[in-house]
Amino acid sequence: MRALRAWLSRFGGLFGRRQRDRDLADEMESHLQMHIEDNLARGMTPAEARRQALIKLGGVEQTKESYRERRGLPFLDTLLQDIRFAFRMLRKSPGFTAVAVLTLALGIGANTAIFSLVDGVMLRSLPYPHSDQIVYFGWLDKSLIPDLSVPEFEFFRDRATKFAALAGFQGYGDQELSQGGTKRWITAGFVTDGFFETLGVNPRLGRLFGREFTRPGAAYAAVLTDSLWRTAFAADPNIIGRQIILDNQTYTVTGILPSGFKYTQHADLFTSLHLGSNMGNNGLNTDVIGRLKPDVSFSQAQAEAALLGAEFFAQASAEQHQGSGVLHLDRLQDYLASDYRTTLLMLLSAVGLLLLIACANVASLLLARAGARQKEVSVRLALGATRSRLLGQFLTEGLILGIAGAAVGLAGAVAVLRVFVSAIPWDLPSIDRITLDGRVLLFTSLIGIGASIAFGLASFFQTRKLDLNSTLKDARGVVGASRTRASLLNALVIGEVAISLMLTLGAGLLLKTLYNPYQEKLGFNPEHLVLMHTPFRSSMSDANVWNFERNALARIQAIPGVQSAAIVSVAPLHGQGNLPAQRDGHPEDSIGGTEYRPISSNYFSTMGIPVLRGRAFEQSDFSSSAPVAVINETLARDWWGSQNPLGDRIVIGEYQGRQYLPTPQPPLQIVGVVADVKGMLLNRPAPAMVYVPALQGLAINGSTDWLIQTSAPAGLAAALRKAITDVAPDQRIVDLEPMTQLISASVAQPNFEALLMGTFGALALILTLVGVYGVLSFQVVQRTHEIGIRIALGATRGNVMRLVIVRATTLAVIGVAIGIGAAFGLARLMASLLYQVAPTDATIFAAVAVLVLAVAMLASYIPARRAMRVDPMVALRHE
Amino acid sequence: MTDKASDKSNYKSSGKTSDKTDVQQGTLALMILKTLASMGALHGYGIARRIEQTSGNLLSLNYGTLYPALLKLEQEGYIASEWGLSTNNRKAKYYKLTRAGRRQLEREAQEWEQTAAIVARFLSPEGERT
Repeated sequence: MRALRAWLSRFGGLFGRRQRDRDLADEMESHLQMHIEDNLARGMTPAEARRQALIKLGGVEQTKESYRERRGLPFLDTLLQDIRFAFRMLRKSPGFTAVAVLTLALGIGANTAIFSLVDGVMLRSLPYPHSDQIVYFGWLDKSLIPDLSVPEFEFFRDRATKFAALAGFQGYGDQELSQGGTKRWITAGFVTDGFFETLGVNPRLGRLFGREFTRPGAAYAAVLTDSLWRTAFAADPNIIGRQIILDNQTYTVTGILPSGFKYTQHADLFTSLHLGSNMGNNGLNTDVIGRLKPDVSFSQAQAEAALLGAEFFAQASAEQHQGSGVLHLDRLQDYLASDYRTTLLMLLSAVGLLLLIACANVASLLLARAGARQKEVSVRLALGATRSRLLGQFLTEGLILGIAGAAVGLAGAVAVLRVFVSAIPWDLPSIDRITLDGRVLLFTSLIGIGASIAFGLASFFQTRKLDLNSTLKDARGVVGASRTRASLLNALVIGEVAISLMLTLGAGLLLKTLYNPYQEKLGFNPEHLVLMHTPFRSSMSDANVWNFERNALARIQAIPGVQSAAIVSVAPLHGQGNLPAQRDGHPEDSIGGTEYRPISSNYFSTMGIPVLRGRAFEQSDFSSSAPVAVINETLARDWWGSQNPLGDRIVIGEYQGRQYLPTPQPPLQIVGVVADVKGMLLNRPAPAMVYVPALQGLAINGSTDWLIQTSAPAGLAAALRKAITDVAPDQRIVDLEPMTQLISASVAQPNFEALLMGTFGALALILTLVGVYGVLSFQVVQRTHEIGIRIALGATRGNVMRLVIVRATTLAVIGVAIGIGAAFGLARLMASLLYQVAPTDATIFAAVAVLVLAVAMLASYIPARRAMRVDPMVALRHE
Repeated sequence: MTDKASDKSNYKSSGKTSDKTDVQQGTLALMILKTLASMGALHGYGIARRIEQTSGNLLSLNYGTLYPALLKLEQEGYIASEWGLSTNNRKAKYYKLTRAGRRQLEREAQEWEQTAAIVARFLSPEGERT
């Protein structure tokens, strides 16, 4: 207790220093005076009295000093002093401070933001209870798509024993909600029973719907989100059990979801899927998720899924169903994040490298500064400063730089993360919840602070070799050469150049991947094409659809400025729609999900898709019922190889129950082969595709895409809308946009990645610029004397400039060489992010190498000019 | 000894005659407490003089070492200080014992006597025999 009391009192002694000093001085003074008076009384002379009193006291200053040490906490006192001094030093060179702090802040901020992103997407669990028990079912090796068909889903659901719940999800769709006279468009998610049970979500009101709502012909059920319930139904609790109208179809509201519920995308409500009631159920269109029973391990569930998958293939006879696949489980979290894993890893590496560059930069700045401060250090040593005191001082400066960097970095990270999250083009349940991660911030801050302290230390150890005499005598303020520092600085420059080369290279490769789609054979000409999308009510029959389309097409074609107009079930890059298909009589040639496109007769000419063999559809195909098809190049190559597919036939398959029907539709005669066109994704090869005349087609997508080739877009939108509503007054029109815009949208994700990488690359270059500039400037200052002599001895300005530039070039070239070597090593990480660009693309490598070298040259320009302008008289006079 | 003597506050009084003993920090604290207990409130100079007189001028006390010792005792709460006027009408800082200081004095005096008794027994001829 006493000790604590004394410590507190000593801590208090750190403050109010002046008052206490005055007190002590007064006390000493009165002590001396009393002693002197006594001495005088004993008969000493005034001078002797004073002298004796001072001797007896042992020196006023010594007493004060030991008193002060007792009064406060000496180490804390020193620390405060160091901090004050450090701030003064940093304020005195604002350029250095700003660059060092910003550099660190950049590294720390970017790392914190990206780590938080990775944490939110990959590490933190999904926002559902016991989310590690939620799994995703997918086919491996069956087709390009892992999704299941509805019959497959039912097959597994009815047999699986390891799952507490299993459910199917068929994406989202826009539907029209009618309430009395008012109509509003809402987004619905289509799910089977068990969907919310699988996610572990309980309704806040009412109940979830059961299987009775998913049988063909049954009533439809709807579960509303909290927000729709509040906005459209005024949070009326009596809504439960009532009927609502969506697309002229009645749905019974069974429950309200808790607020904040989200699956992969925004939805206003979820409706019950009727399984097996329409053609769409035959495609691979169902995401199947399940929740493990509490006592079941993931591997047990995995084993059961594999078994069921094999059983499914065994049950379908060879003729009815071909191909094979393995039913595979993923944790839902991993499945949802899998698309972004590589991106995130790449971003992580990128920011990691950026932090390295930042640290290298601060290091080179500190080292260079340590050189410039040698004189100051020598003076302080000569005045009696101890080495440990100097060490403390350097440490404090490093610490303050690091902390300032971390603080600015935190502010930056908050802002950057906000931008990131709003710009992320990813569909994930957890995206809205991504927040700044405290642990990450702590970690990166420690790295940054650690780096600045470490290099503060390094610069301190430089001073150990300091020879006081020579430094003080050397009027130039810096010692001639510290070899270790010179080589350390060179190593830092080389490392920085190498790392920024790698970052810029990564950015360059991604940018080229991004650029490629524009060069990529889309398979059609997007110029002068306008896209329009019309979703149908589910009540619309196939025949009605074609009637509506034909009439509207005629009106659109009559619009002035419209050269041509066509329809297709799904335009390229706008989605997918697939059905099982088989080459007639060749069960070995079947595809579970062949892209299927009902089109109007002039679709190919409107799109500019060349017909390679045979013919396009003709008007006669739209009036006769002779079933015909046009296939794309990929399908022709896959099934016919070098043979001629014309005249051969294909079958569009159909499930009934769990069996393939051999001929659900009459086989289609192939009348033509057209060039490949992209499917849903720009960065994937064109899928196998079958085109049929819209009259004969099955409206599996429930909507039509309109493609209008036109030269006069002004006023076009209104005219198009009028053409549609003239035919069908209630028809909804969405996505009216130029085709080129759709292309940009489909590169949004690579865009985002390239944007980030581009930013990191640019930052790396800027940091390198600063780093190289700092080191070279320092070296020029260091060599001022030598340069002066050279000039005095007749070196031309050009020679001097070359001296600096050659040094910069040498370092940069070494750095570039190392960076290129390392980039080759990292090629594999990049490969999966690139499309049609080799990770060792020679053009990009060359371009980036030149760019980095140019940056190094640029960085050396100012120091070189400074060297060139050295006045020999001034430089030598310093001697 | 309740406190280790630190190098800095234990100034050697070189040049003095060798028959005078240096005062160690802990001992000094005890002397200060005892002096204040018997004399009442006293200023630093007075304490120094009193200690020297009590020791029969056998102690060589460097007056400067007194002040850190006083500060330490004050920080520990054993003594309290106040500015006042000396007999010569001079402004001086007066120290006086607190209640905690009085207890501490009793404790330390007892400990000191014990230590002294033990050491004395070791040094006495009887102690050597056993």
